[in-house]
Order: sequence, then structure tokens, then C-alpha cells
Amino acid sequence: MDAVVGQVCIPGERLSSVELCQAGPGTYVRQGYVFASLAGLVAKEREKSSDLPLVSVKSKNKAQSVPEIGAIVTCKITQITSRFAKCHIIAVNNKTLSMPFRGMIRKENVRETDRDRVEIYKCFRPGDIALAKVLSLGDASCYLLTTAENELGVVVAHSDEGVALIPLSHNEMQCPKSFVKENRKVARPQSEHLAFPER
Amino acid sequence: MTGNLLDGKIVVPGDVFSAADENFKLVNKIKLGPGLTTNQAQKIIVCKSGTLRYKSPDTLWVDCHQQRYIPSKGENVIGVITSRQGDFYKVDIGASDQAVLNCMSFEGASKRNRPNVSNGDVVFGQLIVANKDVEPELSCIDPSSGKANGMGILSGDGILFTISLNLGRKLLSPDCVLLPELGSHVSFEIIIGLNGKVALFCKSAQQSVCIMNLIKATEYMSNTDIMKALNKQFF
Repeated sequence: MDAVVGQVCIPGERLSSVELCQAGPGTYVRQGYVFASLAGLVAKEREKSSDLPLVSVKSKNKAQSVPEIGAIVTCKITQITSRFAKCHIIAVNNKTLSMPFRGMIRKENVRETDRDRVEIYKCFRPGDIALAKVLSLGDASCYLLTTAENELGVVVAHSDEGVALIPLSHNEMQCPKSFVKENRKVARPQSEHLAFPER
Repeated sequence: MTGNLLDGKIVVPGDVFSAADENFKLVNKIKLGPGLTTNQAQKIIVCKSGTLRYKSPDTLWVDCHQQRYIPSKGENVIGVITSRQGDFYKVDIGASDQAVLNCMSFEGASKRNRPNVSNGDVVFGQLIVANKDVEPELSCIDPSSGKANGMGILSGDGILFTISLNLGRKLLSPDCVLLPELGSHVSFEIIIGLNGKVALFCKSAQQSVCIMNLIKATEYMSNTDIMKALNKQFF
């Protein structure tokens, strides 16, 4: 019942039993059998001749990085309510994802100070790009994220006229065309990313 | 073009005025009200069809006919309670989103003394949160004093009907003679929400319907026309 190397498999397909193989990347173990969790080609590697072979599934596409607890993610805010902001996670640790994951930034996790009296409308707006940290894997629908650090928060935001806002302070951004100031939870730019003009 | 010449002009979306015209040169800043916007060349562009209005020294806006309500903070509106979600009621105020009303936002409400509110009740409240990205939030108490000031559940034998937003604003303006004149002939209680909803309470159903039809008919009437219509009705 061993899977043939180079054979195409789909997620959920039973590849082998634990007695014959070890589970590698792209597979998982259930009730003593090794199943595929990705769609792709079956591969077997033997590290040492004495060990069991490692069965893995090599997908045609590049492996998508999955957000882990503590990873810095780039997300795009999609919806805001008075209690939380929902977003699409578009990159994990600066690696762009092919398909976005869903994340949620709760009101209490927006900033460190004065956590209860946060107004989400003054921190995020739909369409903003923000840096956040993964707090937990959350529930089936979305990851739980936090921006409660100086370097986390809104990085790119646009005003009503479609012009990119310029950050003024940790909670204000200004439109260069209409000079209207808007409130956001702004991420502190890190010094290595700032380019100062040469004197 | 002086500002006074502009007042009362009928405009359609796409009409352009240059801020460098005569009268405006005297004023540094022009305040653009609803229906007007500006482009990069500092020209004023009309975005809604209606009558252009000018108020000296520097305010311009367009009076337009509108039936769809866009929530704005601080406005008093009438809504109908549709459902309850935990600590909030969902209220239909005729906007694109249903508003939320906290169960505690009534006068004298506390955790022990819950207000007696059920689905279908008509409520008059003030919008405390109204942005384009978040659902609007309603409150039936004045945030500073905690008093109702006439807000809350509207009860009694009456009718709830919809009018256009500009008619509602016209009726509420101190210049309009309809309500005071009507009040001298008939006794009634009327609550006008800025979202175009009107609640009317009268002694009999027949009177209510009569007054409702009168109000709806005054949409395009000036004060003199209104007086004529009232005289015809009551004499």
C-alpha cells in the first residue's frame, strides 16, 4: 500500500503507514497512517540507510509560508467595526503570499496604553496596509493579530482623495493635497529603512 | 459672478465655477457645503443636481432632492427596531447600514431596570457615531446630561411615514409656516427625523391621514402656497 514515488496525490490521500515511512513536509499522520496534506508529487528520501524513508509531497507551486505565533505579518484592513478590525494577511515575514489569510485585530490589541478606550475608526480604515504580529492562531475563521508595539501599525494609508497620507506622529497622518489630518495607529519607521538626504 | 447672483441658480453635476470670479476674489477661503467639490485647478465643481445657495460671506452649497439618508453624527433620526443582538438593538434608519442602539442608552436604564423594547418599536434618537466605514450608532439619551430630551420609544396611536430629506429640513426650519399654522387649527404631535421619517400622533386616524397628505403635498410649495392650501383646507 506504499505510495509510488512521482505519483500525483491530492490532500487527504493515504500514502503509506507509519511502520513503512516517516512523515515529511506536506504530509500528516492519523491513526497510524501517513496522509498527504498538499496536492503534488510524492517524493521519498532516505536520510540514513538504517532509518525509515521520509515521504513528502512536493507541490508544483512554491511552498506558502504559514503565519506562526510571533511572526510579523503585513496585512490589508478590509473591514472595521467598533470592536475589531478585520484584515487580509498578504505577507508573512516579508514573503508575499499567493493567497491571503484572514486576520483580526481586536480593539484591546491595537495599542499598549489605554487599551479599553480605543476607537477603531481612529486607528485603522479599510484599505490601509499595516504591520502586525501574530498573537495566536485564533479560531477557524481568522488569525488573531496585535499592533501593540511602536513598530507595528499602519504603514500605508490613503486619504479620501486617493493620495498617500504622510505620517506625522504615532497617531496622526496628513494628506499632502488637502492638508486634512487623519487619525491612524502609525507604525514607527525603523532607522534602517529611512534614507536621509546627504548634506 | 457675484455670490448673490449664484444664489438660486439651478445646477447639474459637472457645472464648473472658477474661484477666481469677481466676488470670490474678496474672500480668501470659500466653504463648500454638500453637493460641491473642488479639483486641482481650484475650480468649484457641482456634484449634485439642485439649487445653488449662497450665504455671505463665503458659504456655498446645493439644495438637492434626496430620499436616501446618509448618516451624519449628531443628527436626530427616527428608526424602527428590527432585532436584538446581545447588548445591542439593530435599528433601521433608512440608510445603507442598520444602526446599533445600546440597550443601556435609554433614560433611567440600568442592568436591573431594562427598558421594555421589542421588535417593531419606533425609536427617536441621536446618532453618536456615523462614519462611512463603520455602522452608525444611535443613542436615546443626551451624552452629557443622561436625560432623554424627548428621545426614546415613541408610543401611542399614530402613523409613521417617509418624506424626502429636503422636505424634512424645510419643515424643521424656523421660516416654514406649515407646522405653526397647522397647529393653530388642529392639535397634534409630530416628530420629524432628519432621515426623512415622520411620526404623527393625532386624535383620530382620519385627522392623521389628512395632516399626512397635507405635509406630503407641501414638498414644492412656497410659504404663500402653503397658506393658500391651509386656508382651502380649513375654511
